Amino acid sequence: MQVFLQTIVGGVSLGAVYALVALGFSLVYRTMGLVNFAHGNVVTVGAYLASTFYLSTKLPFALAMIIAIVVTGAIGLVIERVLRPLENKDFDLMLIGTIGFGIVLDALIIMIWGATGRAVPSPVPTAPIDIFGLRIRTYDLVVLAIAALATVLLVLFLSRTKRGTAMQAVAMDHEAATAVGIHVGRSNATAFMIGAGLAALAGGLVGPLLYVSPALGGALGIKGFAAAILGGFGSIPGAILGGLAIGILDSFTAGHFQGYSELVTFLVFTVIIMVRPTGIFGERTVNRA
Amino acid sequence: MRPTLAVLAVVLAVAAGCSAPGSGKEESGNDSGPIKIAVVDAQSGQLSSLGAWELKGARLAVDEWNAAGGVNGRQIQLDVFDDQGDPTIGTNLARKIDSEGYIAMIGTAESAVTIAMSPLLKQAEIPNITSGQSPGLVATKSDFLFLNGPTSTTYDETLAKHIVDQQGIKSIAMITNNGGYGKGEHDAFLKALTSRNVTPVADQVVTADQKDFSAVLTSIRQKNPKVIFLGAEEVESGLIVKQARDLGITSAFAGAAPQGTPVFLDTAGAKNAEGTIVSSPYLSNDIDEASKKFAAAYKAKFNEEAELHGAKAYDGTQILLTALKTSNVATGKPLADAIRATKHDGLLGDFAFDETGVGIFSTSIGIIKGGKLVAAES
Amino acid sequence: MKRLLVVAALGVAAWFLPYGLDSYAIHVVNVILIFAILAIGLGLVMGIAGQVNLSQVAFFGVGAYATAILTTHSGMGFWVAGVLAILATVLMGLVIGTPALRVQSHYLGIVTLGLALAFTNWVTNASLSGGAEGISGITAPTLPGVDLSSEYIYYYLELIVFAVVLGFGLFVVRTALGRRMRAMRDDALAAGALGAEVPMLRMTAFMLASVYGGVAGVLYAGLIRYVAPESFNIANMFLLLAMVIIGGRQSLIGCVVGAVSLALVRELLVDHPTIAQLAYGSVVVLVVVFAPTGLAGLPRRFRAYLDHRRGTRGTAAQLRPFQPYEPEAVSRSTQDQLLRVEGVTKQFRGLKALDDVSLTVSTGEIRGIVGPNGSGKTTLFNVISGLYKPTSGRVIFRGADMTGRAPYRLARAGMARTFQNLRLFGDLTVEENLLVALDRWSTLSAWRYALRPLSVLRRDRALRRSAAEVLERYGLTEFASLAPKSLPYGIQRRVEIARAVAADPALLLLDEPAAGLNGEEVRQLAEIVRSIRDSGRTVIIIEHNMGLVMSLCEQITVLAGGRVIASGTPAEVAVEPAVIEAYLGDSMNTDDLPVPSAGEATR
Repeated sequence: MQVFLQTIVGGVSLGAVYALVALGFSLVYRTMGLVNFAHGNVVTVGAYLASTFYLSTKLPFALAMIIAIVVTGAIGLVIERVLRPLENKDFDLMLIGTIGFGIVLDALIIMIWGATGRAVPSPVPTAPIDIFGLRIRTYDLVVLAIAALATVLLVLFLSRTKRGTAMQAVAMDHEAATAVGIHVGRSNATAFMIGAGLAALAGGLVGPLLYVSPALGGALGIKGFAAAILGGFGSIPGAILGGLAIGILDSFTAGHFQGYSELVTFLVFTVIIMVRPTGIFGERTVNRA
Repeated sequence: MRPTLAVLAVVLAVAAGCSAPGSGKEESGNDSGPIKIAVVDAQSGQLSSLGAWELKGARLAVDEWNAAGGVNGRQIQLDVFDDQGDPTIGTNLARKIDSEGYIAMIGTAESAVTIAMSPLLKQAEIPNITSGQSPGLVATKSDFLFLNGPTSTTYDETLAKHIVDQQGIKSIAMITNNGGYGKGEHDAFLKALTSRNVTPVADQVVTADQKDFSAVLTSIRQKNPKVIFLGAEEVESGLIVKQARDLGITSAFAGAAPQGTPVFLDTAGAKNAEGTIVSSPYLSNDIDEASKKFAAAYKAKFNEEAELHGAKAYDGTQILLTALKTSNVATGKPLADAIRATKHDGLLGDFAFDETGVGIFSTSIGIIKGGKLVAAES
Repeated sequence: MKRLLVVAALGVAAWFLPYGLDSYAIHVVNVILIFAILAIGLGLVMGIAGQVNLSQVAFFGVGAYATAILTTHSGMGFWVAGVLAILATVLMGLVIGTPALRVQSHYLGIVTLGLALAFTNWVTNASLSGGAEGISGITAPTLPGVDLSSEYIYYYLELIVFAVVLGFGLFVVRTALGRRMRAMRDDALAAGALGAEVPMLRMTAFMLASVYGGVAGVLYAGLIRYVAPESFNIANMFLLLAMVIIGGRQSLIGCVVGAVSLALVRELLVDHPTIAQLAYGSVVVLVVVFAPTGLAGLPRRFRAYLDHRRGTRGTAAQLRPFQPYEPEAVSRSTQDQLLRVEGVTKQFRGLKALDDVSLTVSTGEIRGIVGPNGSGKTTLFNVISGLYKPTSGRVIFRGADMTGRAPYRLARAGMARTFQNLRLFGDLTVEENLLVALDRWSTLSAWRYALRPLSVLRRDRALRRSAAEVLERYGLTEFASLAPKSLPYGIQRRVEIARAVAADPALLLLDEPAAGLNGEEVRQLAEIVRSIRDSGRTVIIIEHNMGLVMSLCEQITVLAGGRVIASGTPAEVAVEPAVIEAYLGDSMNTDDLPVPSAGEATR
């Protein structure tokens, strides 16, 4: 029982990070129908930026995170601008274009920060909480709280602000939104910027949990993408649920199948997607007519 | 139409002139010009830190020799090739250094790459001094392959001797990854334990890029072992230690070379890594006069603290250069024989190669105390 | 002739290439050839069939690993092991292709990527595959009298295999199977409605890709004689993808060019892999944005640019008049029911698009279906042609219950349709559009490609003759080799009708065929539809142009709010009070012609 619960706790803490990554995927997808395969690399950039400001310039962790989010958001804008000619044209080409961006970002990361990584000390150095032998790290709680806060803020932004509702409109009906005078390009750019910002948030938060290296984002990106699809691509609650689900699934397969855990995780994922292609909260049909 | 035919005729004529393709091969190792030695290692990718350390160790040795006039009055030319940690690229490079006339090779730091290259180097008769430590290297049975350090078997045998025989600890758990290094450690340490009639209380395998170890660690916590053996690279071992301490595991950790590195210490956090038992042939830079001298030269040249991998590559390169000198710059089989015959008093100990290409059979036990690796008292 | 010469020159150059290379260079060339074979496979599945496949590198791995395991563990000879390895890869191809039956595009991307990762994970763990250290000492291939352990000789083996698989790939692309795959890539829905078995085609595409992966894997095992998990990782998958994209995914030659040039650039930058990575990543982005057809598409774009500069405005092709069909001698008084729709209801999440709709269409009839916008007309077509499965009710076609059958099955049973928004295959020529419809071959008979290639060629020639007849009849001969997208809207409409009739249907469904046509074109349309009916086919037509409907149709069914509110002859229907009420606000005259929006007209 204790193993079971502790496994869930471990899964949830990484699951919260997957959820943030998935959120970025979903936000960009619902707004502009683009799957950003470079998202994982943007996570890495965010992690490096946050840790650089935190470690080298000794800024407070929160401040370092904010700077990282802003800079990464700018990178998001660049990607969107370059790929804009392809929007609403060829889906697969755009997808490949983002893979290209991922390759470029990966190379740039290695050029700037080197191929080896760095360890980031936890900004919350208190001892874990012990509840009947169940140990919960304080930093995990911080991560969960920030992820929850980010989700709430995002939902508020989408439903309460003018820019946010405009983005919702674009997500629902691209052409109708254009017809009522919504600037679709700006809406897409905002989505991409927020998506990149969320990636930086995920990367910055995960830094002290793991180890910041060029390979960091690849694994997080694939798992985050899987999470977004599992939850229902384009759905905000789906991204959160999918993230937690992948985190817990990962944690359990690691415990039960040891070295084969990845094989099992992806097989389970494939089967779920084949049984229910729209995911948990999916509203869009996959084979669009 | 007509020009095409003409081209065809010319090509045919040229072709008729030579019997079969592949006759021209640049032969080096003759009497003039610099002696060409290749360093093949990952200079990019995740394992590039190992590659960078190795290159520095080799460079230091070569520069010392060159400053002293080289070998037989000839300078040594050290060129680096990047295998990116990929065995396929490794095999490409094996052919490349062969066709470009390198007479010996230093590297690689990853056993899988070296194993892939080994048959080609054997065929090309290029002696290779590797930093790998997998028993699989020995299994390739190549006369041209030499190890610049002990194999996993030695590391783990020493470790088991210290933990089981000397400390009398029998309650031991194992966490290893499924990568090349982890697999070798798993087999070697398990063998060492089995020979002592000790069964590990837990034998957990993780993947090489796993991030969350709560399931594995929680089940180990319930067994409450005295010592947890780690068979994984620096970063992953560090993460495991960090998460274990967060889960309230107080057991000591034990492992081989990666657990003695600064990367491991940084990732785990010095406090969490306290008391880790390390089996290493090169515990620190101030074990004796030779290591102090090496560390000082290393620091002066690269402005960086020397560590195990640099020391291993330094020793390996010294052996190669000594063999070149004693064999009067031989190549191929005679050079390999000269290396085998070389007795070297190096930083890691006294090298004396056996048939399998292993030259050193002992490691020392160190303990991490106050964020530093120090020799164990026993 | 000129092309033949170029091929011959390239062949001779390739044959004598080894004479100029040292032992390292020949190794590099050998590796490049293997990547080129892989790229052809990826080009077939991604570029030709449009299936996002990020597991090509896993096929490669299965081929290499199977060869390694069979030669080292089971002691088989290289050739036997190689054949078995390719079979194993095909099996893997079928497994990885299965998700394509359910999901597409990025979903398929992540699933195939996940399965590729699962494969690497398996070989890293299993003791059978030697774990992370891989398998060394793979038996070298032997041939009596030839020393294949020499890389120079091995090059010739690879060269021959490469030529064969490239030739086979081109053969597939340019004949029936490839045409059908390209049609499916451009528009899976329309391809299905023309009888292309989409699920079968997708599996075939994955199978083809896996064969190429397997062949490359076997050659790799024979060349390197060592396999390890790192060689089949995601970075190599993305590299392969970059090769195909840069070269031009829709052209197999382009894939080869991409593979060769990228591999050469990487070789040049071998000491600076990060710079190489930066370079090819940037090139991928640039190609995607500025030259989606890759290097292979550049000559055509350049020519188009020159034409544009010179001011030569396209071709002077002209639409010729339609030549009516010979009227069918059989009288159409047979009154037997061709189609019966019984109480069909279609529910979309709270919205009832169709509510208990029933209608019967007799053989030889021209039936009109009219109704205000949103009355469920197109939904009814979609149910009849199998695109939608009705919530309840039955569709009986030619006496058999066809409710909810896949569109391609209905198409094969003798039903064809056009679409409101025109669904021509954009990257196929007009002639190829027709060929796809004319081709009634089951995809299962694709085995002929391997065993009886000549029969495939013969059949293709026969198909082209039929296509020429259809082109002639519809006055489209001069447009045969043009892309449909470049044609005026009215001509595109005619091409779509010609395509639907080319499928030789008993029942033809036309969804707003007059939308966007001018008066003269509408008149021609009426003539064409009548002639089609006279040739013995039954037609159901959805139309807003009431003048056309009234003059053309013998029977009219009126839908409103998803229900049938009236049916009968045009005269009967026109005076029905319910109809007049439904059309209140919509004037019932011939000018009631919905103006297509700009977006619709160009699509």
